[in-house]
Amino acid sequence: MTAEVLKITDISKNFGGVAAVTGFSMIQRENEITAIIGPNGAGKTTVFNLITGVYPVDTGRMWFYDTEITRTPAHAITALGITRTFQNIRLFRNLNVLDNLKVAFGVKSRYTVWEEMVRLSRVRREERAVIDLAKSYLAYFGMERYASYYPYNLPYGLQRRLELARALMPTPKLLLLDEPGAGLNPREIRELIGTLLKIKEEKKLSMIVVEHHMELVMNSCTTLHVLDFGKKIAEGRPEEIKKNEQVLQAYLGDEV
Amino acid sequence: MEFYLKVLEITCLYTILVLGAYLMTGLTGLFSLGQGGFVSIGAYTAAIAYLKFGLPFAASIGLAVAMGIVVGFVIGLPTLRLHRDYFLLVTFGFGEMVRAALLHLAQLTGGGLGVAGIPKLVGLPTIILSIVVITLIIANLKRSRFGRDCIAIRDDELAATLMGIPVYRHKMKVFILSSAITSYGGAIYAFVIMFIEPNLFNWLESAKLIIITFVGGVNSITGAIVASVVYYSFGEFFRFVDVWRDVLLAIAVLLVTIFRSQGIFGNWELTPGKLLFWRRKEL
Repeated sequence: MTAEVLKITDISKNFGGVAAVTGFSMIQRENEITAIIGPNGAGKTTVFNLITGVYPVDTGRMWFYDTEITRTPAHAITALGITRTFQNIRLFRNLNVLDNLKVAFGVKSRYTVWEEMVRLSRVRREERAVIDLAKSYLAYFGMERYASYYPYNLPYGLQRRLELARALMPTPKLLLLDEPGAGLNPREIRELIGTLLKIKEEKKLSMIVVEHHMELVMNSCTTLHVLDFGKKIAEGRPEEIKKNEQVLQAYLGDEV
Repeated sequence: MEFYLKVLEITCLYTILVLGAYLMTGLTGLFSLGQGGFVSIGAYTAAIAYLKFGLPFAASIGLAVAMGIVVGFVIGLPTLRLHRDYFLLVTFGFGEMVRAALLHLAQLTGGGLGVAGIPKLVGLPTIILSIVVITLIIANLKRSRFGRDCIAIRDDELAATLMGIPVYRHKMKVFILSSAITSYGGAIYAFVIMFIEPNLFNWLESAKLIIITFVGGVNSITGAIVASVVYYSFGEFFRFVDVWRDVLLAIAVLLVTIFRSQGIFGNWELTPGKLLFWRRKEL
């Protein structure tokens, strides 16, 4: 049995009377891709926001390896090694492609503000290393020639790729992908599946994917968690989920 | 010649203040109307320390900067948790509060009469050296992690947090650094102009610092400096057009914001490299 990367027990979140997530639990194992699926408004993105500390949970607890992260502030969770992408792309519009990647590496920089002010050799050395790393990620995603572009001048597919590269910059242990396939055409989806599997193997990374796109989910994930109205209604391997009565009902409604 | 030197002196003084505002509003997107408050704190602390308590010149300046840092920290503690418009309102209140306090603490500050009789201990070379040093510091910060984090926070606070940036702490650093620069500018001001009074830096002056930053371009230190130099020296040279001065400037600001919302300089920076190779490119 591989180690548990993330353990969530019974977390809930209400937004002023609306139960966005109720009693959700899951275990994420090392080097696995799992998916959280469910109809619109089922609370999938909220689960991500709870894991990454964007909102505090109302009840329940969460662990990342052996560290409890239930009350850890968002920026510290990232520093521990959980990074994510966003459903609506959130790149920094005033930083160019290379700098967008560099920002993400900030948690790993060792120099202090004082050293930066006088630009000690240590700062220069680290900066050069960050640039090299950022360029290697651009090369990995075939985007070298866009290094000095501003993100919103890039086509949509490249923006998505850049966000993925940015999430990989600080070499996380767990990657959360919020609808990575949204807005991509079938060919790009197939590319994405390949990329995700490749990253998983090469970087020894665990991933949780929130996704509507069944082709992506079925072809890349080992475990699926199905949410409906904030509650988990099923969990299992893709082929099990496909046959699950409750899941079909949630997606297609009663009395088909 | 005398006149031009004087204009240059004042222009450079204000440029220090613009640099303080650039760090905060330009780079980090914190709209503060309280910069004037910090100028006054710096100017008054230095002047009173020098005149009333007989501190040496350097110590007075140091004390002024320290005071700016302490007040910056205390004011930043609650306000930096606020969001845009609320932050703007509270810093506006702070600036006006400083002004009122200076008016009413007459025994210490001389009230509405201000503080006169400050010796002129700072000349153009010191001011220009200060600008160079401050610009270097800000430029160094801008091109490494600190500056990238600032811009990230300005662009998207949530995404910045999820990049692992401790947003509140980072804003605090920016606020304190900006307060230090601004109160330093204030202290120097006292020893250049030789007279200070509470109404010198009201919120309108603070607003001007922000406007200059935006016209120059929020992503360009070069822009902030050039816009500042043009604005403040323009003011002096065009005294004959009188009230129309402000109208002309307002039109200029409007034109820039409409046709070039990134500011005149956009992302362009004048780096030493560009300065050296400028001629080669021409060929």
